[in-house]
Amino acid sequence: MEAEELTLVATKPSFDLPTACPLCLPVFIFLKLAHVPFRLSFNSIFPDSDQIPYVESGTYVAYNNKNGGVIECLKQDGIVDLDSEFQSIPDWISIKAMINSWLADAMMYELWLGSGGRSAYKIYYSDPPWPIGKVLFLKQVYVVKQRLGITKGNAEQREDEIYKRANIAYGALSTRLGEQNFLFDDRPSSLDATFLGHALVTLHALPDTSVLRSKLLEHDNIVRYAEKLKMELIESGSSSSGPQFHSVPSPSAQRKGPSNWSKLLHLKVIFLYFFLFLLLIS
Amino acid sequence: MSNPDLKPELTTPDSKPDPEHQKPFGTNDADEEEDGDDENDVEDEEEEDVDVFGEPDRPKPRTREDKFRSDKLKMESLLRRMQSGPVSLRVHDVIVKGNTKTKDHVIAAEIEELKRVGSMQELLKASQLVNLRLRALDVFDAVKITLDSGPPELPGTANVTIEVVETANPLSGQIGAYTKAEARSSTVEGSLKYKNLFGYADIWDGSLAYGCDHSAELSAGMYLPRFKGLATPVTARAYLLSQDWLKFSSYKERSLGLSLGLFSSTYHDVSYNLAWRTLTDPSQMSSRPVRRQLGHNLLSSLKYTFKFDQRNSSMRPTRGYAFVSTSQIGGLAPDTRCLRFLRQEFDLRYAVPLGFYRAALNFGISGGVVFPWGNGSLSRPSSLPERFFLGGNVSPLCALGGPTALWGFKTRGLGPTEPKRQVHGENSDPSGVDFLGGDLAVTALADLSFDLPLRWFREKGIHVHAFACAGNVAKLTENEYQNFSVQKFVESIRSSVGVGLVIPTSLFRMELNYCYILKKFDHDRAKSGLWLTFSGAS
Repeated sequence: MEAEELTLVATKPSFDLPTACPLCLPVFIFLKLAHVPFRLSFNSIFPDSDQIPYVESGTYVAYNNKNGGVIECLKQDGIVDLDSEFQSIPDWISIKAMINSWLADAMMYELWLGSGGRSAYKIYYSDPPWPIGKVLFLKQVYVVKQRLGITKGNAEQREDEIYKRANIAYGALSTRLGEQNFLFDDRPSSLDATFLGHALVTLHALPDTSVLRSKLLEHDNIVRYAEKLKMELIESGSSSSGPQFHSVPSPSAQRKGPSNWSKLLHLKVIFLYFFLFLLLIS
Repeated sequence: MSNPDLKPELTTPDSKPDPEHQKPFGTNDADEEEDGDDENDVEDEEEEDVDVFGEPDRPKPRTREDKFRSDKLKMESLLRRMQSGPVSLRVHDVIVKGNTKTKDHVIAAEIEELKRVGSMQELLKASQLVNLRLRALDVFDAVKITLDSGPPELPGTANVTIEVVETANPLSGQIGAYTKAEARSSTVEGSLKYKNLFGYADIWDGSLAYGCDHSAELSAGMYLPRFKGLATPVTARAYLLSQDWLKFSSYKERSLGLSLGLFSSTYHDVSYNLAWRTLTDPSQMSSRPVRRQLGHNLLSSLKYTFKFDQRNSSMRPTRGYAFVSTSQIGGLAPDTRCLRFLRQEFDLRYAVPLGFYRAALNFGISGGVVFPWGNGSLSRPSSLPERFFLGGNVSPLCALGGPTALWGFKTRGLGPTEPKRQVHGENSDPSGVDFLGGDLAVTALADLSFDLPLRWFREKGIHVHAFACAGNVAKLTENEYQNFSVQKFVESIRSSVGVGLVIPTSLFRMELNYCYILKKFDHDRAKSGLWLTFSGAS
């Protein structure tokens, strides 16, 4: 792979997080934990893409929908690997499975269905133009129900099952974590990135009335672990040991208002075409 | 729906006789003459006992031959009078028959000219115009206009009877080949039409089109000649368009949209387009600039086209000139997140006849520019589908509308490129690049065509041509305009020459050419050799 700077393309920041998407934030944290310098770029026009997040460097691209996700791709391609010493630990597989299935399902449910979808709409669909965002949101709600196997007949049962499993997972992870800084041997791993991403989105993006959030808050050590690492990896920013990153908005992002000169030019162009149209139809 | 038992009558507001009473045209009784053909009939109706042309004392003919001679004399007299000067005449009454389904006001809007005539000559011209307009509605199988004398108490007046035959079979289908400049290739289109569903001369159609550039379009449209008193017809079209550019630029484009024709006249056309456009990359091999553009966009744009084509043919022009200018502004919506861009393209053609073997020299130059507007517009990239791409299997001579094709260059075969994604461990194409198009494009062509000496070829329209073309695209956005120079642009122009055989068919124009590439660059997809192009009517 060419020695070019890595760029992580993710969903836009919101809820005081560099990216509030539960799939993108773990990759961000993973690169931070690995002290890999990278740029952060946003894509606001493809919220329903299964390719995002992706990491690119020159002609190399690691998509999220290939080979188990971006983190697994980076490990397999020899770019970044934090897990080389943890694979042999007996709990590794079970905790990995728990995070990637039970907690992932719980996050999907809570984000799209449990909390009314408001957080999901703000994370993914507030940037695309309104009719597109609305239609895609409704489509995604339907897809989530299909994936979780939720029907009108079993909705309550599935909800109980999802929350119950999440609760069990939180308990197991809380026990595993204890008072350590990380889940395994006090050293960061990809599971820390994945779990931390889940925890931060749950604590900051979900509403206070969220059932999943209230269940996570019952485990103080997890909350401390999440807030501590958030401060170190995200809020510290210019630490000498941490990597620098530059956020590059996507071309479609409209962050600033137009300058006065631009406004005048836009108005002139629009009026010119409007008068031309009136002239033709008169 | 009109009551067939009633004869809807459209009367002129002023039915007074000419006060000067110069050359009155009046008959006492009205009787219709009918003939069986569907040609534009404007007849003078005459009756045996009619006094015409101010000659009431003419003796009445008794035999058939006498009648024929009398009619002939009357017609000659009328023609002499008409040649010597205007024959004063006003329309007293307009009677429309045969419209059981078509609304009266639709027909009334097309026959306004009849009310304003002041002479026989004007009446004949107006009748011809009205006949053409009613036929142009495309909902009548036949239109016949009959002129009759007005009431005897109102000399110098005429009654006009319009008989329409509404189409017996409102459902029709057709298949054709067209060249659309924006599609940059020929398309084969099949369509079904249903005419006059609601009696407003409305035409509904559904069509399926497939283009040589791997595009497919399913659309349904409506055409209303008269909507709420508007002078111009209103068209609306809903479409689902899919274009596959994976091979050239690693993306697929799908658009779901609505297009409204707001104004259309001989030279001007204004339309509005609202579309949800999605760019995807199922292959996951796209280059970085393409990856950045994948996603959903809302397109809300107004397009104005000025087209002035005085050439004698669009498929084989041998004389005349043409000019087309298309201006498009996108982002016309309250939502600022719509795609914002300005696009302008023009095309100028000139055909000079050489006077032997139907030879002609065709010259053409076309250009276009596109850039986004808004805050920081020139530092952002332009929208990929709005850029200019040169190349394709369409003849540049037939594609009128903007810079599109160059002989010898494949679809999207030249211009800025970017390497595609490389996958480790897989056999990657070393020449794997995405063609990104350009924000500025210019093309020029010269074509000499002439008939073959053999009569059989001339009868079939098969002829030969020799051609030369040149073109280039350049990027201006993302601050590249700061590095742009005309000299560099000219130095990087691609060009080709060649000769070929042109075979016109009923659906399209086929060219079998030998192209020689004079200048190309490393990644350009062009080759010297035999090329086959297909072009429909543009």
